[in-house]
Amino acid sequence: MSTPAAAPPPPGTRAARPGSTSPRRLAVVGLVIVAALGFLVYKGLTSAIVFFRTTNQAVAQRAQLGNSTFQLEGTVVQGTVHRVGTSQVSFDIRQGGATIHVENAGDPPQMFKPGLPVVVVGHFVGSSDVFSSDQIMVKHSQQYIAEHPNRVRASS
Amino acid sequence: MTRSRILTTTGVLALVGIAATVWLGLWVTPNAVNFGDLVRLLYIHPPMAWVAFLAYGMAFLSSLGYLWRRTRDPRLDRLAGASAEVGVVFTGLTLITGSIWGRPTWGVWWTWDPLLTTTALLFVLYLGYLALRRVPGDPEVVARRSAIAALIAFVDVPIVYFSVSWWRSLHQAPTVDLSGRHLYVHGSMAWTLLLGFVSFTLAYAWLTAHRYRLAALADREADEGLRQALDERRAEGEVLV
Repeated sequence: MSTPAAAPPPPGTRAARPGSTSPRRLAVVGLVIVAALGFLVYKGLTSAIVFFRTTNQAVAQRAQLGNSTFQLEGTVVQGTVHRVGTSQVSFDIRQGGATIHVENAGDPPQMFKPGLPVVVVGHFVGSSDVFSSDQIMVKHSQQYIAEHPNRVRASS
Repeated sequence: MTRSRILTTTGVLALVGIAATVWLGLWVTPNAVNFGDLVRLLYIHPPMAWVAFLAYGMAFLSSLGYLWRRTRDPRLDRLAGASAEVGVVFTGLTLITGSIWGRPTWGVWWTWDPLLTTTALLFVLYLGYLALRRVPGDPEVVARRSAIAALIAFVDVPIVYFSVSWWRSLHQAPTVDLSGRHLYVHGSMAWTLLLGFVSFTLAYAWLTAHRYRLAALADREADEGLRQALDERRAEGEVLV
């Protein structure tokens, strides 16, 4: 702890009394922190904002996308899901009038089923329109509907 | 003292409510379409996220109150610290339960989706806030810089909440949205979820009140310690004279 009778500050330094911070200095520090945070959030989110491309977007940007890896969203089309071998599954996804055939290596997640939207991670194969993915993420809605709402009543 | 009957009652109600939520959630409520048994994490995950928001909201308001018109009320500073600490615990729980839920439903433990990313940022921001509170200094300076940090960190809370509607997200929209008009949860599932919200809110109040009381005692102990030390030095001086 410094005492009030301490030596005067050496030349060139500003005489800041201990324990007191000028509002201006505080504002500058605050601004710097806000700017730094804003920058981090911006940098982090610009990649997260385009978390996925929709099926119709991917079809429209097919040439640009080439064989680059990206995340693709679409709804699994009924009747197109086929198991290939032991741990491969193929299916079509559709969105906004466009359809893409997906071949996924690995087992799909527990909740995977036709009619639910999915996000697949992978790339187009060669110059074809087949999408090869190695990860499926199932999107689900915030609707929680009882499977058998009348079961209790019916059984009693 | 804050160790009152109302606080004890709150604690008992919170524990009983959480136990009842777990019982209803695991044994009484039905399976859900598409989810099957996986729906059962619904009853604790959104309430935990809500408590985190509530805690940061309280920290924001008390920090604002502390800075506003130079009130400099140490009680508001203590409340902000206590509330943010509980908020960090519940943000951690939200991330953990969300991860456990994400693995079987989405298929991944974690993904850099906007909501998940901003929530992870929220966790780190408030950990930073709690670390800042422990940086030594004059109590009023510490309180003031903490209050400013609490105001800055709170910016992320609405970003987290709205991230699912602002950007493309893997995460679904909030189950209970701000307007409360679009609740798509069936019968007993909805009641269980409501009980979850109430119980976890009570748990928040209980934990925050106890943390506040602890901080008040620590402050008093520091004051007493200083007074005692001064008295001892004075006594030494008298002996010499």
